[in-house]
Amino acid sequence: MYTPQLNRTQTSAPARATGEAAAPVIDVSHLHKAYATTIAVDDVSLTVNPGEIFGILGRNGAGKTTTVECITGLRTPDRGSISVLGLDPRHDRHELHERVGVQLQHSALPDRIRVGEAVDLYASFYRRPADGRELLATLGLEASRYHYFAKLSGGQKQRLSIVLALIGQPEIAVLDELTTGLDPEARRDTWRLIEGVRDRGVTIVLVTHLMEEAERLCDRVALIDRGRVIALDRPAALGAQASTSQRIRLHSPGSLGETILDGVPEVSRVERRGQDIVVFGSGDVLTAVVLAFDRAGVRAEDVRTETASLEDAFLTLTDESTATNAEMTR
Amino acid sequence: MSTLSFALTPRRRRAFGLLVATEMKIGLRRPVAPIVAVGIPLALLVIFGSIPATTRPTAAFGGISFFTLYVPSLLVFVLIAVGLGGLPQQLAAYREQGVLRRLSTTPVPPSWLLAAQLLISLMLAIIGITILLGVGALAFGLALPATIGGGLVALASLVLTVAATLGLGLCAAALASSPQVAGAFQALFFYPLAFFSGLYIPLQEIHSQVVSTIAKVLPTGAGFNALHASFLGHSPGIEPLVVLAAWAIGCSVAAARLFRWE
Repeated sequence: MYTPQLNRTQTSAPARATGEAAAPVIDVSHLHKAYATTIAVDDVSLTVNPGEIFGILGRNGAGKTTTVECITGLRTPDRGSISVLGLDPRHDRHELHERVGVQLQHSALPDRIRVGEAVDLYASFYRRPADGRELLATLGLEASRYHYFAKLSGGQKQRLSIVLALIGQPEIAVLDELTTGLDPEARRDTWRLIEGVRDRGVTIVLVTHLMEEAERLCDRVALIDRGRVIALDRPAALGAQASTSQRIRLHSPGSLGETILDGVPEVSRVERRGQDIVVFGSGDVLTAVVLAFDRAGVRAEDVRTETASLEDAFLTLTDESTATNAEMTR
Repeated sequence: MSTLSFALTPRRRRAFGLLVATEMKIGLRRPVAPIVAVGIPLALLVIFGSIPATTRPTAAFGGISFFTLYVPSLLVFVLIAVGLGGLPQQLAAYREQGVLRRLSTTPVPPSWLLAAQLLISLMLAIIGITILLGVGALAFGLALPATIGGGLVALASLVLTVAATLGLGLCAAALASSPQVAGAFQALFFYPLAFFSGLYIPLQEIHSQVVSTIAKVLPTGAGFNALHASFLGHSPGIEPLVVLAAWAIGCSVAAARLFRWE
């Protein structure tokens, strides 16, 4: 089997287990990149630790791809500093590409190249390539060795792109929107593969707009919105952050609900949505709401609460970021 | 903007060799460019070489046959078909599909792919010229330069014509944002350029000062003039060679400045 990076696995695994701070493999500080008409990345700072799966999460157009393009030396930042494995991505581009495997969106192979040819060709680009045959077997592409790239399914193309990102035995793999366009089953298969890659000691930077993907795979996630990092934490911690500003929706016609909840300490805000009200609050806001209604002699009807997930965190945090932005421009 | 740096260690030389070999294999799986660039002129050569009327010396062409006059036009055909057809089509497709982008994330710069395609085009041009001249000389008695000096002049004319036409191809590859645009360039420029190499009718037949002046400054016209004179063992004079060199250098500089890797 293919087992590179063994020594790295051994050194990075304890660091991961104990949570101690190892020197980051990627250090981005106040990155800023503008194109002719738009600011793609406004101000992004983040660090990626060895051996982790680091997620860069955000809506389409949030600045994720530009960020990784700067990290991998494909674009020159306007401002800010980037260090990857102690290298400057622009000046040490060649060395960087020996040690960082990259799979980018909108990149492909010629239609009529065979899978095996592509693997052999890309292997020849690197100092100490992995065994292409074994990699293909690991990713379930052995039977497709003689197939043309154009004839592969979406899932097979993505798996081949993982093979090519790993063929140079990289210390870091940057995977951009890897599962976009895949069906759920192929997506789950790909997730298992990514975990397998991490278990070999490869640090992974995963760019995605899928909450579920980040929640399932990532050790830490940077939420990017409008070119800024608006949160950076473990997925669970981000979810918890959202649960502190919980939302409860209940049926309450008229203005009685607002009157009842006025002055309840757990409630921070009440919004009317037609016949319903949405209550924002922290702590055990649900109990507080039901008790307040009960004290007033009114039955709280049709009460719904959402369990906090990364998706809530995402919506809450990007909402806040939008609100802050609106205030700033005012 | 990307570096054309060739730190050619043996390992990197092997990688480049494999890239060229792979690109050739891919190209031969859909051999449109070789068929058009070599097949069509070869067919024309065989047809006109087989007709007695076109192989007889004619006073109107200064005592040579139409066939002899036509071979340089066919050589230019090969070169503009390679330059405007194969090269920009392939590179525009690679740019649009993201092949260049994929390569730019490896230790190998995307300029290697350009170099590989250029090398393949050059090989195709050499093969096409060799086949035309070989078949012409062996099957239809085409006269080749008899002296070493004459041969060298003809070779210099060929080299400069190849450089000028592949330079045009590089320019088209730099400007074409997609294979469709590359196809439009080809449709737009191929036929006029071919006209001034005498592909449709010998330009002498037109007796137009304007036409012959335009022909002198175009790469195809200058290429024809240089090849025609040197294959008859005459000196083409310095003028067509300078025109060809200017096209080669001008186009290469423009292509290097305009080329987009994405």
